[in-house]
Amino acid sequence: MNVVITPAMLGQVVVSGILAGALYAMVALGLALIFGVMRVINIAHGPLLMLGAYTTFFLYQALGLNPYLSVPITMLVLFALGALLQRTLVFRVVDAPELSSLLLTFGISIALVNLAQLAFTSNLRAIEYATGSYTLGPLAFSKSRLIAFAVAAALTGLAFLFLQRTRLGKAIRATSQSREVAMVCGVDVRRIHLITFGVAAALAGAGGALVSVIVAIQPEMGQIWTFKSFLVIVLGGAGNYPGALLGGILLGLVEQIASLFLTTQLSEAVAYILLVVILLVRPTGLLGGRQT
Amino acid sequence: MRLTARIALIVGVIVAASTLPAVGQQGPIRIGASLSLTGSYAKLGSNQHEGYKLCERDLNAKGGLLGRKVEFVVYDDQSAPPTAVRLYEKLITEDKVDGVMGPYSSPVTEAAANVTEKYKKVMVSPLAATTSIFRKGRKYLFMVISPAEGYLEGLVDIAAKRGLKTVAVVNEDTLFSKAAAAGAVELAKKRGLQVVYQEAYPKGNTDFSALLTKVKSLNPDVIAAATYFDDAVALTRQMKELNVNPRMYGVTVGGDLPEFYETLKQNAEYIYGATQWEPSLPYPGQKEFLDAYKKEFGHEPSYHSAAGYAGCVVYAEGVKRAGSLDSDKVRETLLKLETRTMFGDYKVDGDGFQLAHKMALFQWQDGKKHTVWPDELASAKTRFPTPSWTQR
Repeated sequence: MNVVITPAMLGQVVVSGILAGALYAMVALGLALIFGVMRVINIAHGPLLMLGAYTTFFLYQALGLNPYLSVPITMLVLFALGALLQRTLVFRVVDAPELSSLLLTFGISIALVNLAQLAFTSNLRAIEYATGSYTLGPLAFSKSRLIAFAVAAALTGLAFLFLQRTRLGKAIRATSQSREVAMVCGVDVRRIHLITFGVAAALAGAGGALVSVIVAIQPEMGQIWTFKSFLVIVLGGAGNYPGALLGGILLGLVEQIASLFLTTQLSEAVAYILLVVILLVRPTGLLGGRQT
Repeated sequence: MRLTARIALIVGVIVAASTLPAVGQQGPIRIGASLSLTGSYAKLGSNQHEGYKLCERDLNAKGGLLGRKVEFVVYDDQSAPPTAVRLYEKLITEDKVDGVMGPYSSPVTEAAANVTEKYKKVMVSPLAATTSIFRKGRKYLFMVISPAEGYLEGLVDIAAKRGLKTVAVVNEDTLFSKAAAAGAVELAKKRGLQVVYQEAYPKGNTDFSALLTKVKSLNPDVIAAATYFDDAVALTRQMKELNVNPRMYGVTVGGDLPEFYETLKQNAEYIYGATQWEPSLPYPGQKEFLDAYKKEFGHEPSYHSAAGYAGCVVYAEGVKRAGSLDSDKVRETLLKLETRTMFGDYKVDGDGFQLAHKMALFQWQDGKKHTVWPDELASAKTRFPTPSWTQR
């Protein structure tokens, strides 16, 4: 029962933690965007990821499309779905108290999961692609997780560039800082909301495409991602976009290192204890969130 | 006076009408059940439902039960124990069914059994494998499948016979998997194997890097994993990624599904899996069951289907031999009953706990499941030892 932990073992879990963390960061960035811009907490974020995984799966099954090549297509599909959700449902709760948006997105979440169950059945599906790993000395880099890391890092980088450099991105950040001032400056806030929700859903969709080659695909695979994304953005600072990146990597590392020194079972507890500690010490998250 | 008489007449008619079916015994025997038709157990619960449906059809084809037609009343509990509790209450008190059959899974059975005990209804629960459910002094609950603790017996037995020394046991931290893991540890110790590592992981966990890194450092001969499907797949993939090479690797649940091989392809080769039942096992009536099932539903039955069917057959046998639907009489017969169905043997102890049914162990060989244990049911030799990932 006594495991001697060697530096190589620690190195291995640090690698695994960083690989997982980039994916957490990308998915959580979507949640952070919606929260930042609309003050809406999107419980349906995880189920959107699940739909992304199914999109990739069906493209793979029907057309034999490489799951990584389908990432852009999956993102487009989810962008459209996200915009549709915003247009038909979510816009109604943007100005409402936060409980309303929680209830609405909770409802959407249940509806999406059950619709997926009806449409796709609960049959477990998976894409067998890029199994095995690359080795570097004593370290193993899982192929599927390494590619997911690279794609997630690239997409997160692109999302930041988009937010920092483009006019649209600036308009999104402006809306997030102050809706009224943005409106006065001629920003079409409704359109910004639509695009924000679309981009957030697309990021979740990309996450789905990437995890579809890592884990089994089933209608309930998404919920755990809603929780993880929450944890990430609260750790990093809600509404603070670079904070999502830091929070993601941190969560990945904490989970893995806690699993190594304690047990996999306790690693979740450690992650949430860390959350409580950070909320006590820095209630706005590590990088500081937006003040309300 | 005339008014009183008229009221009396109306009341009389109503009373007579409402008791008529019970007195006349003309209507069908209605058997109620709640099953997980949606929710996380939807696939497995639906298979069990098909087992019940086929049993209903076969019973009626043979003239029903006690000369009456049999009719199943089935509701969907959405895989949620509290919903199942409500539905069994409804079945017994509102629908007034003549008998009940068990739901899917241990947690749901654990909850529903409180209701059936309260109303003293015999419940044959064909898909509950957790020992503790049957060790709480419940009088009317009957078990059909082998208990969770015995799932990995075959794996341990082969390992001991092959002279292997060390075993690592990992499990999902839920009722069934915990019991299966505890059983494996117990059996391994009894057979002189050293349990070098044991760890539980939470439900829904899909990243086993840290756990496997630790297991790898101990290099055990055997990895025994008490899993469901998702975790079994993730665990196997990561074993390959991290190059973890036990000489035997076995899982409990999920490894027996065709999807397991479809998902992992050649990486599933050499993996051992525990199973309650396989279509290839030489039990009486197996072929008839398989043919009828495929014809009726257009696909192969899983063990959930087979256990559902067998559970219903056992209950019907109990009713037939008791010659009555009376719970206490049926209970007496089921306690004494010894029978063999296409699912295997049935015999319970005084708690309704299954004693006779046997687990089997299969190994994935060239894309097929071959039964390798116990010897008398084996259809192939074990491919031993499992080669390392790099040598395949």
